[in-house]
Amino acid sequence: MFKAVTGRILSSLLVIVGSSALVFVIMYLLPGDPVASMIDVSSASPETIANLRHQLGIDRPFLLQLADYFGKLLRGDFGQSVLNSEPVLPKIAKHFPATLALAACSAAVSVIVGVLLGVLSAIHRNKPIDLIARIVGLLGISMPAFWTGILLLLIFSVRLGWFPAMGSHGWRTLVLPALTLGLIGAGFIVRMVRNSMLEVIGDAFVVTLRAKGLSERAVMYRHALRNALIPAVTMIGVLAGEMLAGTVVIETVFSRQGIGRIIADAIMAKDLPVVQGVILFSSLVYVVVNLLVDLSYAVIDPRVRRSA
Amino acid sequence: MYKWTSALLALSFALTLALAACGNNNNNGDGQAASGDASPSAASPSASQADGSPSAAAQGGELTYALATSPDTLDPQRSGLAVAVRVIRTIYDNLVVKLPDNTIKPWLATEWTESEDGLSYTFKLRQDVKFQDGTPFNAEAVKYNYDRILDPATKAANASALLKPYKSAEVIDEYTVKLNLETPSRAFLGNLSQALLGIVSPTAAKKYGDQFGKNPVGTGPFKFVKWEENAEITVERNPDYAWAPEIVDNKGAPYLDRVTFKIAPEEATRIGSVQSGQVLAAETVPPQNIVSLKSNPDFQVLQANTIGLPYTLFINQEHAPWGETKARQALQYGIDNGAIVKTLYLGTYEQAWSALTPGVLGYDASLENAVQPDVDKANALLDEIGWKKGADGIREKDGKKLTLRYVDGSPNREKRNDIAAIIQQQLKKIGIDTEVVITKDILTEVYTNSNYDLYGNSQVNGDPNALSAFYHTAPKGALGNLSKVSDPEIDQWLEQGAVEKDDAKRAELYKKVQQRIKDEAIILPIYVFPYTVAASKSVQGLKFDLLGYPLFNDVSLAK
Repeated sequence: MFKAVTGRILSSLLVIVGSSALVFVIMYLLPGDPVASMIDVSSASPETIANLRHQLGIDRPFLLQLADYFGKLLRGDFGQSVLNSEPVLPKIAKHFPATLALAACSAAVSVIVGVLLGVLSAIHRNKPIDLIARIVGLLGISMPAFWTGILLLLIFSVRLGWFPAMGSHGWRTLVLPALTLGLIGAGFIVRMVRNSMLEVIGDAFVVTLRAKGLSERAVMYRHALRNALIPAVTMIGVLAGEMLAGTVVIETVFSRQGIGRIIADAIMAKDLPVVQGVILFSSLVYVVVNLLVDLSYAVIDPRVRRSA
Repeated sequence: MYKWTSALLALSFALTLALAACGNNNNNGDGQAASGDASPSAASPSASQADGSPSAAAQGGELTYALATSPDTLDPQRSGLAVAVRVIRTIYDNLVVKLPDNTIKPWLATEWTESEDGLSYTFKLRQDVKFQDGTPFNAEAVKYNYDRILDPATKAANASALLKPYKSAEVIDEYTVKLNLETPSRAFLGNLSQALLGIVSPTAAKKYGDQFGKNPVGTGPFKFVKWEENAEITVERNPDYAWAPEIVDNKGAPYLDRVTFKIAPEEATRIGSVQSGQVLAAETVPPQNIVSLKSNPDFQVLQANTIGLPYTLFINQEHAPWGETKARQALQYGIDNGAIVKTLYLGTYEQAWSALTPGVLGYDASLENAVQPDVDKANALLDEIGWKKGADGIREKDGKKLTLRYVDGSPNREKRNDIAAIIQQQLKKIGIDTEVVITKDILTEVYTNSNYDLYGNSQVNGDPNALSAFYHTAPKGALGNLSKVSDPEIDQWLEQGAVEKDDAKRAELYKKVQQRIKDEAIILPIYVFPYTVAASKSVQGLKFDLLGYPLFNDVSLAK
């Protein structure tokens, strides 16, 4: 057991370092120059541009930049924004709570809506509720987040005036973004819970339970549902990634603060240290969540516990 | 039995965690709402205050104003973004102000004289001005500011370009300062009115150093309060303010208690927030919204054309066949710019006709409508210089196809990528195969490698000398001359224009330049960019300066 956990942690570290190096290479290869977002190049002299590039350290060879980056990282130095010299780590720390709130609430929406609709649609197969659940599932996974976001915004903010269209203070600003992002996750979960529920309902033990004289209610909610929910726990790990990625779009659409917004801006301006910092941080969060999910199987599922 | 209980436990634990996070946020949110800070009720305190005094120019209230992007810094001398200037204008003042008729009037300077040789200006300064941190405004402060811009450590790339050819400053007495120039310049005095040359508090600039941009202090009508990154910037009324320039009516402290700039990059959100009342005003309104908002009695759309160089497509003369005048003229006649501007901007943008926009000294209005699209003429011109249509409809000469590489930046700012797509279609009709290249790396593609036949650019600038950077024969590899034009006469006119003291003669020189640019088809002028603001009807007195930046001195909230 201990060996398995250490192995998981080590491979997680590898994932983090690997993703961070990969992003460094991608950002280096991408066209664009931070200098272009700092000054008006049409009225600047080539010397000014060269000086600026030198000050930023982006005129050095690629490997030197990469080595410098990891060297600093090992010393806990995430670097600073090339645009306004702001240190990266405090910047992330300041904006992460807003992203965490959004991601957590979205995950809650996903799980609650997803499980509820998934179970109901499996139990009432081919009834209207099943149709609704399947439509939600389909829309959730196929509608782009920015489109759903703008649609909700036009209806609930502009037309009805129930919720603000932008901002990151107060629960009311969280409703529309969490709903938008949550619907994506709900789409996945509905489909998954429905399928696994249908599978479990067809299992022999359900027949046994019914034969035993248990009420249909008890069969479904006490026995079938519990079996069907195991995959949903796996989904939480996958969802963590979905939610973090989704915040990039959602935070921009709803003008929220957060690390998704920071990385979107930083990519546009080719502000490499900030992009790196956010990627590193996000992959850390993702890896930790998935590690916890993996470890929780041992707690949840006795088969895993025994085999380990 | 046991196992499933633990499974459920784990799931409910996860759920509780998730909900707890939301719960925490709820609490924060309630606290925020109670203090009336950032919730949609932000607009209501101002509304109720205005109820108390229903007269015009009501005192007090908060204006919420949504910006399309986030400012980079609030240090005027380090900034490079127009969006930052909207905020910078509220915090800082300049020595002089330029009025829409291009006359220059006093601001922090009361009067000035220019030396006979044009190599120095002596300014008398106002004696009643204090920075918002209490630092007195005087000749030392002015000298400190301009020297700070020249100091490479300040990284004032854009401001130092504007300040050229400034050399040094001499403090004559406490309220008299003499500025020395390297060479005479007619643009210099006017440039001193530009926001990027705003006067910062020397005390604060020294104290905060690199971080001054997050702790800005000036002499302006509003004082900086706070900047929440990617969310909002708040400035509040400077009660001591009493030196507003002639361009606004209210010479004293502003009527508003505060202005809160909200940063909302997504245009649907920005405009939606005005419609839902979450903010009172929002900038950069998409054309389709301008049309619908104008017909709604609860809202108003304010519009100010920016001045300087309009959005212009530069034809690279170093690439064949575009060095030939007739080839360029074929583009001039083959492209129906009127149709492009009408289709994309629904009548909300004005079509550009010259290398300058209306409003700049010397703008040549006689060029308006001077060139009309004429496909036959374009075809004839290309035939004349030996480019004949092949079987596929694309012209050829000596076995080479007539192609045009049209480079444009990403993202699709002001629908410029769509312009490229339309031009591609229009040029097909005259047998030109246009390759549209959309890239983020304009610096390398255009400025370093010159790998383009057509590239568009614009510049906000209050002085016609702006033409020099774009049309004067480039001195040792300067980047601005995108057409790669080298015309001794244009050079001469531009050089004379840069120093000519008589404005009427100066205007004539720049008219000659514009005329030549049109005759030689050096560029294709496309549109004049209007700065647009959608606002609730209750917002009154919003004005714009010469360059199209908003001024909040006269703003009050009615009803």
